[in-house]
Amino acid sequence: MNLIKNPQLLDHLASAYALGTLRGGARRRFEALARVQAPVRTAALVWQTRLASMNELQTQSVPSPAVWTRIDNMLQGEKEAATLRAQRSAGLQAAAGETHLGEWLRSLLVWRGAAAVGALATVVAVVTGLNLRAELGGEVQALQAKLLTTPQIQYVAVLADGQAAASVLVTFDANSKKLTLQRVGSYQEAGDKSLQLWALPPAGGPRSLGVLGQDKLLRLTAGEGDIREVPTLAISLEPKGGVPSAGGPTGPVLFSGALIQKML
Amino acid sequence: MTTEAHDLELIDLLDRVAEQEHVALKALYDLCAGKLFGLAVRVVGNREWAEDVLQESFISIWRSAGDYRASLSPPMAWLGLIVRSRGLDFLRRRTTSRSHVTQELDDGMAETLEGNSPCPMDTVQASEQALALHQCLGRLENRQREVVSLAYIRDLSHSELSLQLKLPLGTVKTWIRRGLDQLRQCMSHFA
Repeated sequence: MNLIKNPQLLDHLASAYALGTLRGGARRRFEALARVQAPVRTAALVWQTRLASMNELQTQSVPSPAVWTRIDNMLQGEKEAATLRAQRSAGLQAAAGETHLGEWLRSLLVWRGAAAVGALATVVAVVTGLNLRAELGGEVQALQAKLLTTPQIQYVAVLADGQAAASVLVTFDANSKKLTLQRVGSYQEAGDKSLQLWALPPAGGPRSLGVLGQDKLLRLTAGEGDIREVPTLAISLEPKGGVPSAGGPTGPVLFSGALIQKML
Repeated sequence: MTTEAHDLELIDLLDRVAEQEHVALKALYDLCAGKLFGLAVRVVGNREWAEDVLQESFISIWRSAGDYRASLSPPMAWLGLIVRSRGLDFLRRRTTSRSHVTQELDDGMAETLEGNSPCPMDTVQASEQALALHQCLGRLENRQREVVSLAYIRDLSHSELSLQLKLPLGTVKTWIRRGLDQLRQCMSHFA
């Protein structure tokens, strides 16, 4: 059916469509055509607009005053609900992070929402105060945690070779009892050899502190007693895997240096 | 007040209602409630239901006034569409919940069908476009005008009209066809 070539039929169908008396299959076919053909759609819209004026031509009548009261009550109810929601979300934001405090604040805020605006100011002040205290408390805790995890470097040694070229940097953290060795030179032992770290106390023989691996960074565990009062650290070249502590170094000492206690 | 000034006032109020200004909704209600209530009565057929429809309509105007500008319609036409569609929703809900009750034609409508007044329609607060339709409807026979008007306002099919008006289906179809033919001819002069 080519409606566009038959403007009279198009106008007839469009007016019946807009009036609502075009029903069933005929209505569905008209709607399908309107979706693909703009002139059909336009004719339908023109008639919908024209007939919509029917709404404006009805005889006036005065409704009971109760109608406005009902509308007003509904809007007031909506307004109060919205205010309550806003206060609730503000309370949630203020108390974010502190679950128990948050729940307490929320219930307080909801309860206060029903009360006067003056009371609200008090709540805001209380929330701000509590929030500030919670924030400060949190900060102190965080700092304490940070202090505990931050290595406290108490001893430092730079072990150098005969030409005073730095090769290994040694630090000792008394908190975690960790010796950290960092190779800073280019020295690389042969595959069948290992480097071994020794403490050279003023009295008694050298004490082995551990054997270095191939990594640039090595961590060894040592008691503070092993390190304190030791003026010098040394590294010797030993057979693969190192030698027992009791016998002392068996190979040449490659690097050595003074152990310095850092003042805090 | 001229139609144009009246429209501008309504448009301004709708803009303020869109901004959720309570005073503006009250002002809009004071200006239009009578006209819109008349329409609601016509759609649902009794005052008590029409008051429910008017209430629902103003709540929906409060929520959707922001959409008015996009409609490009005269304000009363837009408000009328809201009231009619809330009214039709109301009737559908009633028919679904009480399907055994056939809708009875209210007395007012039966009178209009029999009456001889030239055109009982009311042009107070009507837009320019509505004045054109009013002129064209005025040229129809009373019965034709009434059936066409009822078909639109209550969204009734030929058979529903025949049932409600207790008229033979063929008669209803003829009146509607003739009424629409005359409207088309008349409205083409205003296009």
